[in-house]
Amino acid sequence: MSEIFECGDSGALVAYLYDECEPEVRSTIAAHLARCVSCSSEVEAFGWTRQQLGTWTPPVAELGFQMPAPALEYRLPWWRAPLPAWAQAAAAVLIFGAGLSIGVARGTSAAEGVASGQPAVTTVADTPSQGDLSQMERRLRAEMAQLRTAAPVTAAVSTSDEAIMQRVQALVEQSEERQRREFTIRSVELARDFEAQRRVDLASVRQTVGQIQGTTGAEVRQQREAIDQISNYLIRVSQQGR
Amino acid sequence: MMGRDDRATSPAVLSTRRTVRLLLMTSTDEELVARSRLGDVDSFNQLIVRWERPIYALAYRVLGHEEDARDVCQDTFLRAYRALPGFKGQAKFSSWLYRIALNLCRDWIRKQRRAPVSQMPEDVDPSEIGVDTGPVESIEDLVARRELSAIVEDAMQSLSEEQRTAIILKEYHGMTFQEIADMQGCPLSTVKTRLYQGLSQLRRHLERQGQGVPKLVRRR
Repeated sequence: MSEIFECGDSGALVAYLYDECEPEVRSTIAAHLARCVSCSSEVEAFGWTRQQLGTWTPPVAELGFQMPAPALEYRLPWWRAPLPAWAQAAAAVLIFGAGLSIGVARGTSAAEGVASGQPAVTTVADTPSQGDLSQMERRLRAEMAQLRTAAPVTAAVSTSDEAIMQRVQALVEQSEERQRREFTIRSVELARDFEAQRRVDLASVRQTVGQIQGTTGAEVRQQREAIDQISNYLIRVSQQGR
Repeated sequence: MMGRDDRATSPAVLSTRRTVRLLLMTSTDEELVARSRLGDVDSFNQLIVRWERPIYALAYRVLGHEEDARDVCQDTFLRAYRALPGFKGQAKFSSWLYRIALNLCRDWIRKQRRAPVSQMPEDVDPSEIGVDTGPVESIEDLVARRELSAIVEDAMQSLSEEQRTAIILKEYHGMTFQEIADMQGCPLSTVKTRLYQGLSQLRRHLERQGQGVPKLVRRR
């Protein structure tokens, strides 16, 4: 008997208590407990302790957690799929480089044309710079001064008047064109700023709504706790009454 | 022509759904794990339904906080889902899940630096009057049971984390000594020692708690 169990062997007693020992060992321990008051009282006390442990229950909780089903991926054809950032950046650099080289080539050919006496081809995109305009203004003033100093009004004067009028008209048109372009740019910028502000406001509104919802949940919890306390009080009062 | 909603509620579809649900409910953990590993989320959700209560109870008893226990329970399943491809089935799924939950509890205790077991509300939870107890249990019995539960919880607080975990796994989750040893990464003899010392300490604590405990037990 003493070969497989010794009095006070805590491991063996625990194994006996939880019924996790060989049948032979179990019967040996049982026989020992029948004789040994110390061991038997200890096993009995452990049994009582285990009974008390059985009363400890966790509070009822709402669980119901579930994994979300994977969202179905809508695959765009490769030619419609959005480019990755690096590809977009590379494309932007390429386009910028191409534009730059074209601009340089055109600038060179225009300069060559002027040098060879051919008028440079003006396009809608060719807008006069501030320097050009001021130069033209100086020339116009000089011409007008010359006209004023000229004594007789001749047919030549009327010719130069027409030329001046045409030039002034051209200047006015250019100025209007420039104003239109600036107005368009300002409108686009304004629209962009408005959109950005709208998004910021939307995010702010969402955040505020979330906070309000959170506050409401906390209030509900507080009310529930208050109801619990009242119920507990009533139960205690009813107990005392009995 | 049948609309989308009509198709969803048609007898054939409902019957198929019932069959699938029945199949999931009657499947073993191993079968559900195998299907989950192939990407079947419904199978994994069935595992959650099956194991969320025990995992929550374990987390609550170790941590002592209802909210934290719920979070740990959810994290356990999220981690398990992510780690599912690496689970080769060497251990039982439940043991693997318990191990994840215990690790999370340990991390939680370290991070939050909270007392491992919190105070249980001493008063009776009115919501339990109609839920947990039958019509046989009087309010006195209910109050006595809840008081005793609070005393036991308080006693459990006095144990070390290892002792408490060993007792929880043994008493409330019916694990064998060997399973607890695997879970805690210690020899089998250490588990027995932890149980013995834990039970001894609990007994002393319960006796010290005053005359209330034996009286309540006798009443029951």
